[in-house]
Amino acid sequence: MEITYDKNAQEILSTIKSFARKSSLWVIAYGTGCGAIEIPPTMTSRYDAERFGIRGSATPRQADVLLITGYLAVKTLKRVIRTYEQMQDPKYVIAFGSCTINGGMYWDSYNTIKLLDKYIPVDVYINGCMPRPEAVIQGFIKLQELIMNKKAEGAAKYKENLEWYRENQRKIIHNWRMPEYNW
Amino acid sequence: MQNNLELENKIAEKIKIAFQTAEVQVQRKQRIKVNLNEDLVHPFLTFAKNTLSYKHLSHISCVDWIEDNQFELVYILLSYDSLVQIIAKTRINREKAEFPTARNYWPQVETYEREIHELYGINFVGNDHLVDFVLEDWEDLPPMRRDFDTVKYSQEHFFNRPGREDAQDVRKTVTKHSGEELPDLAKIYSVRN
Repeated sequence: MEITYDKNAQEILSTIKSFARKSSLWVIAYGTGCGAIEIPPTMTSRYDAERFGIRGSATPRQADVLLITGYLAVKTLKRVIRTYEQMQDPKYVIAFGSCTINGGMYWDSYNTIKLLDKYIPVDVYINGCMPRPEAVIQGFIKLQELIMNKKAEGAAKYKENLEWYRENQRKIIHNWRMPEYNW
Repeated sequence: MQNNLELENKIAEKIKIAFQTAEVQVQRKQRIKVNLNEDLVHPFLTFAKNTLSYKHLSHISCVDWIEDNQFELVYILLSYDSLVQIIAKTRINREKAEFPTARNYWPQVETYEREIHELYGINFVGNDHLVDFVLEDWEDLPPMRRDFDTVKYSQEHFFNRPGREDAQDVRKTVTKHSGEELPDLAKIYSVRN
């Protein structure tokens, strides 16, 4: 038997879903660059991010949020793409610090990327070099707002424009030896 | 503290007797600099290890002297008995950048040589593990050579945020908008005036 809902019921259901999603954000413990040093104070008792339902998780398959904490070398970007593709829906990306926004102090470096959103979709940017734990929590609250308003659609964007993202990724990763994940 | 360089002078004397062409200089307490000819480096390293009890090799470094068409290799040694550092320097040809490995005396040298091989392109003969270290699939010039243009490379290979391609000094724009004068100190340190 097929259960059919009317439009209102569907909307209520999706609101409940979004509320549940935003209230328990599991962050994968993947620290890149220098920003990872801001994560321990954010998680521990002084700022206590668990008030907002933000917790660390061990593996990408259990995580909802990928936090990019700083500059990305080409070698690291490979690992980030693999990690991101292993994560299960719903998944979100928060990019952290000025390095991910425009290169920051590594604007002339031969080995770090300057625009993260050309390679993986970013839902929220937190600026600063480095952002303080207050700013990090502010960024998470912004992400929660986006989830509640159903505007955090990075993963859907990635699936839709996979060819474009792949093209950009292949431009700097010359020997492409990445597994093709099956969505 | 300055006048007590007895230990350093004693070690420098020993080096001078064994290697007469080497320039030995006591730079300060606990530091001796030795300039060596290219072929004398390995005899010197064995001499330091076996006779002067320099058991520890702290680091190998490299300097690019593009004007002289030379690379400078810097071996930093430490003795646990005297706690005096020896900095052994040598110059090699830049065109045919090759040097015998020191892996036979210190196995950990392999990693340092890998790094120098990747960043300067010096081939260490006898080290068979000179594979990729930090950079993966690098196809350009070795990036720490001084004729490698890092700004040009990054502009060609990576995307720029629109409006920030020229990497202008933002202080100039800020002072223009606020109608203030740029402080003198800032003028000195701003790269593009």
